[in-house]
Amino acid sequence: MAANYWVSTQRRHWLFSREGLVDVREKLREKDKLSHTQFPLPDQRLLNIYFNQQLTKLGKRMSTRQQALATAQVYIKRFYTKNEIRHTNPYLVLSTAFYLACKMEECPQHIRFVVGEARGLWPGKSDVRITKRPVDFITSDVAKLGECEFALISEMNSQLIVHHPYRTLSELQPELSLTSDEVALAWSVINDHYLTDLPLLYPPHVIAVMAIIIAVVFKPSQTSFHGSGPPPLAGAMRDGAGMNILAALGEKGASGPPPRIQKLVGWIAESEVDIKAVIECTQELVSLYEVWEQYSEKTCKELIGRVVKSKNLDK
Amino acid sequence: MAVSPPSTMLSTIQSRDIPFQGSANARSPLTMTHADRELTEQLNDDVRRKYVKDKKLGEGTYAVVSLGYLKTDPSVFVAIKKIKVNAEYKDGLTMDAIREVKYLQELSHPNIIALHDVFSSKDQTLNLVLEYLPRGDLEMLIKDGNIQYGAADVKAWMGMLARGVWFCHENFVLHRDIKPNNLLIASDGEVKLADFGLARSFADPYLNMTHQVITRWYRPPELLYGARQYSGAVDVWSMGMVFAELLIRVPFVAGNSDLDQISKICEAFGTPTDDNWPGVSKLPNYFPPDRAHIIPLQGRDFFVRQFPTAGPVGADLLMSMCALDPRKRSTARQILSHSWWSTEPKPTKKEDLPKKAGGTKKMGDDMGRRVGQVDDGLFKNAARQLHF
Ligand SMILES: Nc1ncnc2c1ncn2[C@@H]1O[C@H](COP(=O)(O)OP(=O)(O)OP(=O)(O)O)[C@@H](O)[C@H]1O
Repeated sequence: MAANYWVSTQRRHWLFSREGLVDVREKLREKDKLSHTQFPLPDQRLLNIYFNQQLTKLGKRMSTRQQALATAQVYIKRFYTKNEIRHTNPYLVLSTAFYLACKMEECPQHIRFVVGEARGLWPGKSDVRITKRPVDFITSDVAKLGECEFALISEMNSQLIVHHPYRTLSELQPELSLTSDEVALAWSVINDHYLTDLPLLYPPHVIAVMAIIIAVVFKPSQTSFHGSGPPPLAGAMRDGAGMNILAALGEKGASGPPPRIQKLVGWIAESEVDIKAVIECTQELVSLYEVWEQYSEKTCKELIGRVVKSKNLDK
Repeated sequence: MAVSPPSTMLSTIQSRDIPFQGSANARSPLTMTHADRELTEQLNDDVRRKYVKDKKLGEGTYAVVSLGYLKTDPSVFVAIKKIKVNAEYKDGLTMDAIREVKYLQELSHPNIIALHDVFSSKDQTLNLVLEYLPRGDLEMLIKDGNIQYGAADVKAWMGMLARGVWFCHENFVLHRDIKPNNLLIASDGEVKLADFGLARSFADPYLNMTHQVITRWYRPPELLYGARQYSGAVDVWSMGMVFAELLIRVPFVAGNSDLDQISKICEAFGTPTDDNWPGVSKLPNYFPPDRAHIIPLQGRDFFVRQFPTAGPVGADLLMSMCALDPRKRSTARQILSHSWWSTEPKPTKKEDLPKKAGGTKKMGDDMGRRVGQVDDGLFKNAARQLHF
């Protein structure tokens, strides 16, 4: 992370209010209602889970920094506040966001390499009944990706620096004497928040505090990272007790919670973090874990495949 | 301050470029429904062109810079920097371009060149619309024998440089290519830090960085020794070299290879050893000095003798910027609070600073000279050849 968040383009241009974000999306939908009926897509968060998994696969093949994956996900979100997803080839957007984010985070990958890997990962389908020819999800022409890079930069008004909560987390670790387990858990909560709209709605330090609270308050028995289902955290968060503690955070001089948590509560009270925002973020995460139950990779893949193929049919 | 140039100078060729911003209605090329060309043209038609591109101002390693002006107000000039395609990143943007956009978008300060806009052109190159800085750069002033300047002027220039660098560092950005010809001068005399093509963030302390940055004569010893983790101190060393060069009007330590650069630094400032720089011998490219040739660290009197124009207080500041051990080098913040700035003589007011001959009118001639200059520093752009 470079430069200062408070004067950043992220804060000035890419922080939405909830209503603002709903509005922007509603406008996109209004513009092309037909394609919305023609191409139903799952809940945005489920799509995000799918995108995240695809990006992670792409990243794994090329050993990228986590931060680049995070930046890529924010780019995708920004891009789709301005473009109807049904008018795009999401695989191309994904690969391009990945390619650009790697450069931004100083771990550049060669364009040919990215295209090659993306083609390997998303071979498309040869659906002879419809197209009479194989459909490439990503064409071998690297210029396409180069061109998309321009489009992406353009849609983001060349505002490319993304501030992430990871940094705040590392800064707060010594201050709040977080254990390495807590840090690992908070880290994975931050990873998960990219599956929601939170990066467009709240500043990174609010997210970081939210992640720390969740890690300290809910501390699930196992801190293993999730495979395809929602993390163990989801269960812990649903069983209520933690939520009560959380609710108490807002009230001054809350009594009851164990000292470890009281210390945290004290710190938050003294810091100028917007506790209401932190609680809203937590709720957002809870609802992410709820919707996660419905996630089906197969469904996402099929529905997106239909979008991409229809684009190819137009050609 | 911008004066409308004579109309003969402007052939008013409309730029064929597509403004980046405000393309909301254009269909994005990310859709695969149309062929590339078709889409680009569509974009071209849809968006209003904001700038008119005019004559070429100069050319660097990775960009061609042209004069431009606002279509709606031709008295407002801009510099349009068109990024050349890099073979290595064929079809993608170069890291130089990405870095320049990335940092200039976020850094807004009177001593840092302003980025007004970014747009792409047909041939898939990126155009940066920059603040137009018509009065050349510090290198031109240093080299121009017809220009006389003194301690008060150097103080003014260094002050502007120090504020720009301080601002970068406050925002966790390393410039990594500070040298006189990257310090451009605005029409009101303000010095602006330009060329962020090598800049990078140093907020992640454990991330290795390349040591192949900073043009050799301005490169600090830790980079010459191959350090992969470094700090704002690298820029401070470069500032010190610019300071020295402003004072003596020739590069102070001008090696003709990396090895030669190290030995010249040793001759000038003393030989780095584990005594004066704990841990130096652990740096990857460190080699033990020849016992017989160990030069002791230079003291204050050396700097006072070598740079009489700076005065003893100025010499002290310069010395603090040239500490071999980066941890002992002063920071940009410390530099700004040094007593030199408030010692007599006071820094010259920026309007009264010496200017290169001719001002804006002779721009054409000057640029001719600049373009010719590109080849004369054989090693000048060594840093560019390496990526990240
Ligand atoms: N903002 C500006 N206003 C006026 N002239 C400019 C501006 N920016 C650049 N120029 C001119 O264009 C020339 C090329 O600039 P550019 O930044 O591409 O390369 P450089 O810094 O000279 O060289 P290199 O990038 O190889 O170090 C400069 O030497 C300068 O004369």
